[in-house]
Amino acid sequence: MDLKYVGKDIPRVDAYEKVTGTTKYMSDLSFDGMLWGKVLRSIHPHALIKSIDTSKAKALPGVEAVVTWEDVPGLNGFGIAIQDQPVLCKDKVRYAGDAVAAVAAVSKEIAEEAALLIEVEYEVLPVVDDPIRAIEPDSPKVHESGNILLHTEIRKGDIDKGFDEADLIIENTYYASRQEHAFLETEDGIALIEEDGTLTVYAGSHYPHRDQLQLSRCLNMPVEKIRVVSSPVGGAFGGKDELTIQPIMALLALKTGKPVKMVMPREESIISYWKRHPMIMIYRTGVKRDGTLVANDVKVYADTGAYASLGGPILNLALESSCGLYRIPHVHIDGYSVYTNNGISGAFRGFGVPQVTFAMESQMDIIAEKLGLDPIEFRRKNILKKGEVAPIGHHITTDVESEAVLDAMEGSRLWRERERYRGTDKNRPWIKRGVGLALSWQGMGLGVGLPDFGDAVIEMDPDGGFIVRVGCVEIGQGAMTVYAQVAAEALRFPIERIRVVIGDTRNAPDAGPTTASRAAYVGGKAIFLAAEEMNEKIKGYASGMLSVSPDEIEIDDGSAYVKTAKDKRVSYEEISSYAIERGGLPVAEGHFDLPTADKAIEGAFGLPHHIYSCCGQIAAVEVNTLTGQARVTDGAVVVDAGTVINQGGLEGQSEGGFVMGTGYALTEDLIIENGVVKTPNFSTYIIPTSKDMPSSIETIPVTNYESTGPFGAKGIGEIGMVPTAPAVTNAIYDAADIRVFKIPATGERIYELLKQKKGENK
Amino acid sequence: MKEFDYFRPSSLDECLKLLDQMRGRARILAGGTDLLVRLKHDMIREDNIVDIGRLDELHGVHVDGGDVHIAPLTTHNEIVESGLCDEVPVLKKACAQVGSPQIRNRGTIGGNVVNASPAGDTIPALSVHGAHVKLKSIDGERTIPIEELFTGPGRTAMRDNEILVDIVVPTIANGEIGFFKKLGQRNAMAISIVNIAVILSMNRSSKIIERAAVAVGSAAPTVIRCIEVENLMAGSRIDSAERLWEIAMKIRDRVSPISDVRASARYRAEMSANLFYEGMLELGVI
Ligand SMILES: Cc1cc2nc3c(=O)[nH]c(=O)nc-3n(C[C@H](O)[C@H](O)[C@H](O)COP(=O)(O)OP(=O)(O)OC[C@H]3O[C@@H](n4cnc5c(N)ncnc54)[C@H](O)[C@@H]3O)c2cc1C
Repeated sequence: MDLKYVGKDIPRVDAYEKVTGTTKYMSDLSFDGMLWGKVLRSIHPHALIKSIDTSKAKALPGVEAVVTWEDVPGLNGFGIAIQDQPVLCKDKVRYAGDAVAAVAAVSKEIAEEAALLIEVEYEVLPVVDDPIRAIEPDSPKVHESGNILLHTEIRKGDIDKGFDEADLIIENTYYASRQEHAFLETEDGIALIEEDGTLTVYAGSHYPHRDQLQLSRCLNMPVEKIRVVSSPVGGAFGGKDELTIQPIMALLALKTGKPVKMVMPREESIISYWKRHPMIMIYRTGVKRDGTLVANDVKVYADTGAYASLGGPILNLALESSCGLYRIPHVHIDGYSVYTNNGISGAFRGFGVPQVTFAMESQMDIIAEKLGLDPIEFRRKNILKKGEVAPIGHHITTDVESEAVLDAMEGSRLWRERERYRGTDKNRPWIKRGVGLALSWQGMGLGVGLPDFGDAVIEMDPDGGFIVRVGCVEIGQGAMTVYAQVAAEALRFPIERIRVVIGDTRNAPDAGPTTASRAAYVGGKAIFLAAEEMNEKIKGYASGMLSVSPDEIEIDDGSAYVKTAKDKRVSYEEISSYAIERGGLPVAEGHFDLPTADKAIEGAFGLPHHIYSCCGQIAAVEVNTLTGQARVTDGAVVVDAGTVINQGGLEGQSEGGFVMGTGYALTEDLIIENGVVKTPNFSTYIIPTSKDMPSSIETIPVTNYESTGPFGAKGIGEIGMVPTAPAVTNAIYDAADIRVFKIPATGERIYELLKQKKGENK
Repeated sequence: MKEFDYFRPSSLDECLKLLDQMRGRARILAGGTDLLVRLKHDMIREDNIVDIGRLDELHGVHVDGGDVHIAPLTTHNEIVESGLCDEVPVLKKACAQVGSPQIRNRGTIGGNVVNASPAGDTIPALSVHGAHVKLKSIDGERTIPIEELFTGPGRTAMRDNEILVDIVVPTIANGEIGFFKKLGQRNAMAISIVNIAVILSMNRSSKIIERAAVAVGSAAPTVIRCIEVENLMAGSRIDSAERLWEIAMKIRDRVSPISDVRASARYRAEMSANLFYEGMLELGVI
């Protein structure tokens, strides 16, 4: 097929507004008579609430409402998977940052002052802060049900036999830190009551329809009476998947009848909301002398913090990818997601997979070196292909371009020329350089057993253009542009005359969450299907207007014509007038069910996935052995993308992912001690700046047509950051001969490792 | 953020009077890059803010005799771009490494000095250049060596009606070389884990060091001069890497840093030595 829009260099449809600052994010909105909301949060990581006295706050002039748990009309609990997080705590707080009460006042300052006037009496409880200790039966309990949110055990083959067959067994423990999403826009928005008594909530999030459902439960209000607008989002990376400020703003709006706005200050955002799960990962991997993997025993402890949210599914996705994309006959995987008082962990780009990939891909490099094998050869020898059995026991039935990705890595400039990047700096011999790589895979979509679908609607407008409606959100990734491209291609219609409406429960149908790398894939596919229906309708009208049968009609570039007589044609403007006369403009719907696996893995909810993406990365690193600091100087990202719909968008995701992964590898660490956040701002929580960027990041797509996706596309939103950390730490090993088991590999940590090694060599 | 009264005097005299009237109850505002962060966190005791931004006499660089005079409102970027400041190269290097372009455009050298952060990047540089600061009040003015200004982290010897009006930096002598190095957690927008400034007068051919100045920041409550190390180097030649290490170790022993989320005390101490070692090798002292 000749493509006009898909795969073409189409500028972002929202670029002009964004670079000129005219885009209105939810935090930019304001309404007449608007109040400001402020949350009173617990300063204790773990405590019983003995009493809450709001009288002084209520008496402060300018205060219009103070709410506590008593004001929650419905279920005082939310959570995507398990609703165990109170909107406002009643008798117990479980992390420092837990919401206890909230105020609406005529100014931000008064709201802040009032919040401080709320008197809460606490009885402090012991802090549960070590996930391994927390699962012991005598540990203090975060929830009455116990501290284990989820325990998943998966066995394949006979692990003991596997280790018996192994010539080499490598055992190590890895630690991955707690990562902050660091989106530009914090959790901000407005809730208001419309004239007809319905509630509208404007707040950036991944999934307006689920926010609507959760709000309906908490507020005891029918979903039809709640409208959620959650797009455009000023960045989220998973951090706005779960509810944040929405239910509290809604309570305040309901109570006052006025619009209530909240904007989280950065520190409150960092302290109070979601983070990537820190994980402790104990790996024991057995291999034969010839490099055949035979056994992998994996134990994972994920610190999910105070509430469930997506802690369970994140653990399971991590476990699915925990053995890498390799053929391993004997596997034992044992994972725990554990409640603690360490803030709250939730969804974050990669959804548990970056952590286990760090562990597994470090194991792979350690083994390759011990056996004297080239790291790519060793991976190739064990790589899983379509039709084979994955480590958790299911067959891979779709294309995962594992071999093509390895080939592209091997052929990349950075790998071919790696000798140029390696070795000791001549003039500054304390600078050591090295190159490392890592491979990753990740399931796309929500997994087996979960409703996973997308709806889209296409309407012709009176001028003969189109409105495309789909519920996913523009989160900065470029979804609107991809949707416009897919619609233009499928409708064979000029892209400038297509308007995309997304992220609004009233104006766009439910297309599922903008997560799990699924928005372009599912939303795009639903649009494609709607477009096919629309094309049929157009052909129907044209056939009536031109008095030929519909099969004789062809459409292109905004007009419909008779195949055999091209000058017999009608424009879409004419079709729209014709349709209006006959009862209304055409509307078409597309519904797409994401294909899922036909057999579930026992005891591992959501597993397996059906479609996988695969990504390999290479990093060139220099280590200053005098300071321990490592710097990533170059990178290459090979990604199994299916058809590339928008090259700029792909590069944005892969470069952004690589840089985010670099921060994860080297500096980012949300430190919590005794339940208290020690790095609550960007002066102490260190994300990379433009001066920390590598000098180049090459994006190399592997473009095998994914038959289920729109025009053959696959999701790539998360995988770009998944293998970065091990690529970087493997490069550090190559450079300086030290093995990093704990990320981030800060200057001080690397320096300590260098010292240890020096000591050993003496 | 608390409420405060805001004053913007239009002359230095007016400013001095204001400060005298409000002894101890006023805080000076220059670029605000430190002060505003503190105000936001309610860390400022004073109820009055005196914005000196309009006092042109406190702005700019000029050379007088053998000294470069840098008025306190001069921003880091202005110093980086000033040809006159080529005569104070180690300071220039320090200013170039402060924060980010935005911070360097807004933040002033006076603010950096009076803020008296142990990690302030210009401070070790000013120290090795032998800088003095001129303080003025309604009662008169006095000039003191920069090191004497600092009495502790965030604390200075300034009286409660004084303002910093000039920073006097002797121009670097012919043949003097030096460096400024900072170790941060990243390459921009980084508070120094440690920083170090060194000036040497070294004979190019014999490599004999005649005189040395070494100052370390972020490794003690205030900037420290490493006099013992300076004396050790004076009149001698560092003929081997081993010898350089020995000297560097004396710096490590001299500092008394703290541990915080950025780094442990031990790492800071070792880095004070290692940055020195790295900088000296890069200077080509051996
Ligand atoms: C993001 C960020 C990054 C930063 N990075 C660095 C860095 O890398 N290195 C570094 O050293 N600093 C850094 N800083 C700190 C700060 O920017 C500098 O110290 C800057 O030079 C302060 O100057 P200012 O004019 O903004 O001071 P202000 O905030 O206006 O004042 C600081 C203090 O000095 C007092 N003061 C100012 N001028 C006078 C005067 N003439 N007489 C008497 N008192 C006076 C004020 O009362 C106040 O107490 C950073 C700050 C931020 C926000």
